[in-house]
Amino acid sequence: MGNKTMTRTNMSPERLLDVDNVQVHFPLREGLVKAVDGVSYHVNKGEVLGIVGESGSGKSITARSIMRLLPKRALDAGGRVEMQLRSGEHFELSSYGRNSRAIRQVRGKHIGMIFQEPMTALSPVHTIGSQIMRTVQLHMGLSRAAARERAIDLLAKVQMPRPEQLVDAYPHQLSGGMRQRAMIALAISCDPALLIADEPTTALDVTTEAQILELLKQLQSELGMAIIFITHNFGVVADIADRVSVMYLGRIVETATVDDIFYAPKHPYTQALLRSIPRLGVDQGRRLPTIPGMVPDPFSVPPGCAFNPRCSHALAGLCDVQEPPEKRFGSQMSRCHIADQFAQEPVHA
Amino acid sequence: MPEAATSHAMPQVGEMPEDVLISVRRLKKYFPIQAGWMKKTVGHIKAIDDVSLDIRKGETFGLVGESGSGKSTVARLMLRAYDLTDGQILFRRGNGEVIDLSDLTDRQMRTMRREMQMIFQDPYSSLNPRMTLLQLVGEPMLIHGVGSQGEIRDRVAELLQVVGLRPEYINRYPHAFSGGQRQRIGIARALALNPSFIAADEAVSALDVSVAAQNINLMQDLQEKFGLTYLFITHDLGMVEHISDRVGVMYLGRLMETAPTDQLFAKPLHPYTEALMAAVPQPDPRGNRTRKRVPLKGEIANAANPPKGCTFHPRCPYAQPVCGTDEPALRAVAGGRQVRCHFAEELTLTGVTT
Repeated sequence: MGNKTMTRTNMSPERLLDVDNVQVHFPLREGLVKAVDGVSYHVNKGEVLGIVGESGSGKSITARSIMRLLPKRALDAGGRVEMQLRSGEHFELSSYGRNSRAIRQVRGKHIGMIFQEPMTALSPVHTIGSQIMRTVQLHMGLSRAAARERAIDLLAKVQMPRPEQLVDAYPHQLSGGMRQRAMIALAISCDPALLIADEPTTALDVTTEAQILELLKQLQSELGMAIIFITHNFGVVADIADRVSVMYLGRIVETATVDDIFYAPKHPYTQALLRSIPRLGVDQGRRLPTIPGMVPDPFSVPPGCAFNPRCSHALAGLCDVQEPPEKRFGSQMSRCHIADQFAQEPVHA
Repeated sequence: MPEAATSHAMPQVGEMPEDVLISVRRLKKYFPIQAGWMKKTVGHIKAIDDVSLDIRKGETFGLVGESGSGKSTVARLMLRAYDLTDGQILFRRGNGEVIDLSDLTDRQMRTMRREMQMIFQDPYSSLNPRMTLLQLVGEPMLIHGVGSQGEIRDRVAELLQVVGLRPEYINRYPHAFSGGQRQRIGIARALALNPSFIAADEAVSALDVSVAAQNINLMQDLQEKFGLTYLFITHDLGMVEHISDRVGVMYLGRLMETAPTDQLFAKPLHPYTEALMAAVPQPDPRGNRTRKRVPLKGEIANAANPPKGCTFHPRCPYAQPVCGTDEPALRAVAGGRQVRCHFAEELTLTGVTT
């Protein structure tokens, strides 16, 4: 069963996943795109880590590199991903090949994944029941009958109405919200220790989104699994995450507990993003505060701090020259030269 | 097929209060359901059933609702991209003349479209990739025979500047631009003929937050500068609260409630509006923890077979027996509001408070 018990015990016992300095590059005709440029984060057992950032910030690619599911033209340019289960099993995911037997033992079994658009993630020519059955037969060695039983149980668990009938339904026969439930059932079918949720509610209506978020929270506490929740929606992340990492141009610029991110952000990018969202019941005046300019194209990332040309606090001679170090304030990390300044004057949201 | 009479204090056909730019009255759009090789019509999907609303000059009217509620269909009907089944669309032209668009032929409608334009959600599929900005933004002028080649070029350059793009980009193709910039190209194109009314269908929904904020500010600047009237369609309640003067809430092809924005959010009168507001996760973790959020049960009903009585009653936490039998009418209530609920006066619903 692969090389699962390589003993490396510098992971503390509450840790589930360690992502260390992961780099993913795309060699394109126009130049080298460093889509993920040294990303590090960790996920503790049973916690929800939210990852927010605008499109192109590298949040999905980092998650895919955990699963070793990078696009074929991507260049794995270094970094280490390790996972450690409650049972003590330890996997060094970054050493596994894209299609290796070892990674296939982990994918679907210890790590489940759900995507934004269930219609493209589920097979259109198989019933949802048979897709779940195949997974549990493979990973849990169940018989056909037992697998079908388990599929029905799982559909009931994700609160599908009439699971005994819908187990034989094809994805196109279900509504968007029901398809997302079916995909969640598939992802949790083998009781994974980690669920990677990549914008799972973005395509859904708010009332359906609220149902799915409620379901994920419930499953998370019931099954004790950890979730990496990727989204661009600050409302959603505030609702579900315990800790949050904010990404900009392939890097994490800030990581903190959800309360610190929203009530005491220490990176100007986080602060500016939070200001630019229209909030219900809050009169922000006629104009929304915006971030000047736009995300630079990935071939010409500015020197120094990548955010400096758009930052209202940028200091000439420092921010445009020197890359900011990771500054730590307790559990909070900010990659900003002047983060100390924000530590003194807490920004109230 | 007709529903219970809708009592609304609206003037007679052809009459419209001075300050109203466009008025939709008892709008209906039924799509036939066809079956068999004869394509026999076996039923109808009531995509829009009895929608009435007024949009005043210079205001932004927000239309919210879930997918399938018919909000985009309303906009398309107002611009006559679809033919309506029944109802009236009164539009006040630049010269003060009030015209019922529902009677117009396609040819007559074409001249009207100079004054009414649309901005679409997806800036990737709504711009022809084989056309340059000059062709894209200049196309409406070409079609309407406005201006010579040189004049069109000058006007396009000016429009690009107006929406915050560099006029030097005039010969570039859409693929060279980001999503936010493409949306600006769509806005420039909509502005080309100096319209008075623009329907923006999820115009910022596909954009990242910081880009959406920039484009929303641009749309507000343009509104001020050119005296535009907007119909702003979105599912984002935060955005609609920010940009709209008045809001209409749609559910299953019907307007459930209309109200001035601050009143709607402070005190919703329809249970669906309350449920919609409660469902939005706020960027406020502490507030989310204390706020009671009971997710709405079930899903939007099938429009081909809507529930009897109030279309919302199967999901409504306040439903009474009468809701399952009698469809409530959209009726005017105090404060210039309209609501479609039997119990609007009795219920005390929660809005958004901070």
